[in-house]
Amino acid sequence: MELYDILFWVLSAIAVSCALGVILSRNPVNSVLFLILTFFAISGHYVLMNAQFLAIVNIIVYAGAIMVLFLFVIMLMNLNADVEPQKGQLVQLAGVISGGILFLVVLASIKTAKAEIMDKTSTDIGLISNLGKVLFKEYVLPFEISSVLFLSAMIGAIVIGKKEEVKTSATAKMEHVSE
Amino acid sequence: MANLVYLVPLFPLIGFLINGIFWKRMPKTLGGVIGCVAILASFIISLGIFFEVKSASFQGPLVVKLFDFIQSGNLNIHFDFQVDALSSLFLLIITGIGFLIHVYSTSYMGHDEGMVKYFAYLNLFVFSMLLLVLGANYLIMFIGWEGVGLCSYLLIGFWFKNRDYTNAAKKAFVMNRIGDLGFLVGMLLILFNYGTLAYQDVFAKLPAAHTETSSMYNWIALCLFIGAMGKSAQIPLYTWLPDAMAGPTPVSALIHAATMVTAGIYMIARSHALYDLAPMALDLVAVIGLATALLAATIALYQNDIKKVLAYSTVSQLGFMFLALGVGAYTTGVFHVMTHAFFKALLFLGAGSVIHAMGGEQDIKNMGGLRKKLPITYITFLIGVLAIAGFPFTSGFVSKDEILLAVYEHNKVFFYLAAFAAVLTAIYMFRLLMLVFMGGFRGTHDQEHHLHESPAAITIPLIILAIFSLVGGFVQIPHLFGGHDYLNQFLGKAGVPAVIHEGPGLEMKEWTLFGATCVGLLVIFLATKKLFAVSQFDGNYSGFKKVLANKWYVDELYDTIIVKPIGALSGILDKFAEKAGIDGLVNGVGKTVRWGGDRMRLLQTGQVGFYIFIMVLGMVALFTLGFFWIK
Amino acid sequence: MKAIIATTVFGVIMMFAGLWVNDKKSIAGLATFLFAALLGVTIWDLTTTSVNSPKSLFNDMLRSEHYSLWFNTIMTGCSLLYVLLMGKEVQKVGKYVSEYFALIFFILCGLYLLSMYNNLLMMFIGIEILSIPQYILAGSDKRNLKSSEASLKYFLMGAFSTGILLMGITLLYGAARTFNITEMVTLMHSDALNPLALAGILFIMIAFSFKVSAAPMHMWTPDVYDGSPTVFTAFMATVVKSAAFFAFLRLFQVSFNSLSEHWVMVLAIITAATLLVGNVTAVFQQSVKRMLAYSSIAQAGFMLFAVLAVNAVAWQGIIIYAVAYSVATIGIFAVLVKLKDYTYDGFNGLAQREPLLAFVTTIFLFSLAGIPLTGGFMAKYYVLLAVVQQGQLMWLVIFALLMAAISVYYYFRVIIAMYFKAGTPEISSPVTGGDKFMLVVTCALVILLGVLPQLFLTKV
Repeated sequence: MELYDILFWVLSAIAVSCALGVILSRNPVNSVLFLILTFFAISGHYVLMNAQFLAIVNIIVYAGAIMVLFLFVIMLMNLNADVEPQKGQLVQLAGVISGGILFLVVLASIKTAKAEIMDKTSTDIGLISNLGKVLFKEYVLPFEISSVLFLSAMIGAIVIGKKEEVKTSATAKMEHVSE
Repeated sequence: MANLVYLVPLFPLIGFLINGIFWKRMPKTLGGVIGCVAILASFIISLGIFFEVKSASFQGPLVVKLFDFIQSGNLNIHFDFQVDALSSLFLLIITGIGFLIHVYSTSYMGHDEGMVKYFAYLNLFVFSMLLLVLGANYLIMFIGWEGVGLCSYLLIGFWFKNRDYTNAAKKAFVMNRIGDLGFLVGMLLILFNYGTLAYQDVFAKLPAAHTETSSMYNWIALCLFIGAMGKSAQIPLYTWLPDAMAGPTPVSALIHAATMVTAGIYMIARSHALYDLAPMALDLVAVIGLATALLAATIALYQNDIKKVLAYSTVSQLGFMFLALGVGAYTTGVFHVMTHAFFKALLFLGAGSVIHAMGGEQDIKNMGGLRKKLPITYITFLIGVLAIAGFPFTSGFVSKDEILLAVYEHNKVFFYLAAFAAVLTAIYMFRLLMLVFMGGFRGTHDQEHHLHESPAAITIPLIILAIFSLVGGFVQIPHLFGGHDYLNQFLGKAGVPAVIHEGPGLEMKEWTLFGATCVGLLVIFLATKKLFAVSQFDGNYSGFKKVLANKWYVDELYDTIIVKPIGALSGILDKFAEKAGIDGLVNGVGKTVRWGGDRMRLLQTGQVGFYIFIMVLGMVALFTLGFFWIK
Repeated sequence: MKAIIATTVFGVIMMFAGLWVNDKKSIAGLATFLFAALLGVTIWDLTTTSVNSPKSLFNDMLRSEHYSLWFNTIMTGCSLLYVLLMGKEVQKVGKYVSEYFALIFFILCGLYLLSMYNNLLMMFIGIEILSIPQYILAGSDKRNLKSSEASLKYFLMGAFSTGILLMGITLLYGAARTFNITEMVTLMHSDALNPLALAGILFIMIAFSFKVSAAPMHMWTPDVYDGSPTVFTAFMATVVKSAAFFAFLRLFQVSFNSLSEHWVMVLAIITAATLLVGNVTAVFQQSVKRMLAYSSIAQAGFMLFAVLAVNAVAWQGIIIYAVAYSVATIGIFAVLVKLKDYTYDGFNGLAQREPLLAFVTTIFLFSLAGIPLTGGFMAKYYVLLAVVQQGQLMWLVIFALLMAAISVYYYFRVIIAMYFKAGTPEISSPVTGGDKFMLVVTCALVILLGVLPQLFLTKV
């Protein structure tokens, strides 16, 4: 087992356990922090695949900007207290069991799959110049057309978030959800 | 003339459009005139077509192409009409009797405010039926098939706004749909096996009769027959027809005589090439027909509603027609359709005249002795009763005689049962006649005062129909009386085979039938006269009679074994699916008033979680299915 | 391609119009004009592309096949019809009328991408462009808590299905090493099917089932359709759903056609479950709007037949079904928004008060129920025909026919309420001559589809 594999497994373990932490912790602030850790682990994977630019962008955008925004919202709305209503044992059990079964079934389905390991050293797609070329040559259409997607999301923020004559407190919170 | 066949359905369609669009503004008389003229025009063209088909120079079935309907891949379905002996005969029946019913309606519906609308629907009804008969492939037949079902639903309903008739209409429609389902499946099987729906192409691909047996023919024939059961009210799908009596009487006449219920007969006669290859299905047709004929006849014995008696008699007569088809006597079945159209239209219109005179009363308990007040109605009704009962030389005698003869040669047991049903027919019809026209009047004083003969627009169609009921049978004179089977020859041109009666014992059999009929009818006449030509009649029954009066409790049976379980099942599904939805929604909204945030979380942990839970389970099931089950 | 550019530009124009034009009516007028212009552009696209040689665009990201362009044209036509029928009602939803129209233009952008994509990436972006504006439109009536709730639910569950879709795409990429759906065919069709590919296909199938509201992924549909403002429900349930179906069909026809033995049974089970759930639950609804939500599930069951049949008739089937179903449903919703009470009782006596409304509704319901000589019959006929020609799954065809028979029950309940029950329905907004004219046009379209379906298929 060489270093590459060790790193891969360690990062994977961190990513998975932190992701579990996101959904299992009661305190929303803890959830967000776990999420940040998950992003870091994933960025590590990017580095392993020789995609340093993506790794950095992932940290700056997700761990840096978006997660901080989440934290602000949670704290400003004073949601950091442990106010999560207790779910029934049955509901929790149902969730765990159904999710677990799905996991097992999918695992059983693809366990015989022959996954070709890609050659990890030769690829340099993640470097900025290569990425830029691919993005603006091959993938220029999806890249450009995504702007329509973001534009509609922005409209959503305005349409749903902006004050109208009659307003309930619920609508204020819809804002960050729909982003 | 035959090339103009598209005009035949076109006129009623135009009539429907004019009356349908302008019904609010149009004066009643004009609406009636448009309705009648449209059908008259169709009738005239139908006559032309009929004589052209009849002439010796007419070569085989003529397919008139109108336009391309469906084109997909190698399948090509045209919107074509087929003119041949069978369709031209049905054209005459539909438009001819339809016209008389239209004329009758101008008077009968004269004081109804929705009269123009009524004529619009009537025209649409005739249009659908013409489509059904004229189509050159099963798809167009199906379109007409659905159309008549729908129109009957509309016609019954639009008149009776205030009555709670919805159950009857629903029943009619559901039963028809079950039948249609059979038809559709049959159609798909044809398409699947032969790759086409056009009659000529399908039949051309069939092997010659009786040369090959394959269960596929039986399946197709069976599915089509299920369709016929629904539309032509055979066991077990017959209960809608008597219930559909809620509509105006001329509509009943139209449904029972000229259109709708005869569709099933037409379909089987049209598909005879297929049925010839399906002996099992054909036997089933015969058995179902016979059973229906008997069952409906017993029920008709103890009904007290004048229209109900006639309705069950229709079911019973349709049974006879299917019996004829089932024993392979296709032309005889069609012949009975024709004669039945005459006398059943006559009887219904006569009943309408009676109801009209009685001020809407339909219960025969309150009638009696009407022959003096309504002489024309009485005489024509009497002719109708004689015809349906099979009085010698009336049209009904000739056609029923022929059916019985064909059945006799097929199966003796069937024959005795059918003969018994025929006897029952005579009994319930004479009972009706006696109770309505003989004896003393049993209604209220007001009603008695009000009694009057109907106007000419009602009586003239009655008289015309009475004449046809008398002499209409002579297109097919029995062998005994110098027989000449014009109809068989005519239909033979369309390739519809007839059962040829011959052999040494034939005259003997016919004489026996003839004599038995005369004696039997005389006995029945005297007996019913003694029993029912009375001044007092309470119409309450007990014991077995009550079972019959309650129609063998079939409705209740269906309710218990079909309707209720389905209702229960839907209820369970409903609860399961709706519990999370509606309850959650209501709860959710209720809590919002307190605090919005609470609600959001409530949602996330509540129903959405439940939905996703179901989705995950679904995914598990699908994956298991996709990977481990289908291999 | 011109249409994609045009609809994006028109969306932006609408946004700016909101800035400068304060009059809601003029905004709606402008939107109508732009929709008409967009229809012109799609026709232009259609006529400038030759029938037999599809144009490959942007490194094979898109392929403008003729039937795709024809679908675009027809769906744009439906959108125009929608705006003509319900433009007035859109104005009543809330303050941001121009934004609503902008979002509808963006949805159409997603629709065009979904009809022409040749790359899984484009499919994904198309689906997202189709979905995000819907989440917003669902929640646009902010005074109504049900609307906000619908929006949130839709968003949460939509995110879940997006995750599934991405998972599927990833697995497929793992198996085929390409996102290009035409190249994928040869790569995957080796001697034995890679389990990764099958898992990917199943995940994508499940995600699409969510988008087209097929059981068991249908649970969101009644709540969202019921909660959203009725005008937008009309659009979501028709044009958007048709687009998702077209994308579904496109992927499974182009890429997975040769693998159909592996997935067709799973999809058949989904179809049967969808038909059962949609039809049986619809029977017991008290609200017509909710009944229509379930009916849209039931209709989805029929549209799945087109996906099941991996042959050429399926294209015709999906197009005729999409247009027949969309036109009739838009028509019914156009009547529904005129009423105050959405329960069956709210329709009582409509025939007396507004005979024309009642009549056209009857025709629309006939079409949905699949009565001959209406578009709905032809649509059902074509999709079932597609499967029958394939020569398998006859049991499913018969089951579908049975379910169609059940559907008559709940559609006809509305007719019974309108014609045979007494009552005075409350009309929420006056029915003008223009409304009536448009309803009659819609009604004529439904019948035209039933009599001359070829008109709508000549380009396929």
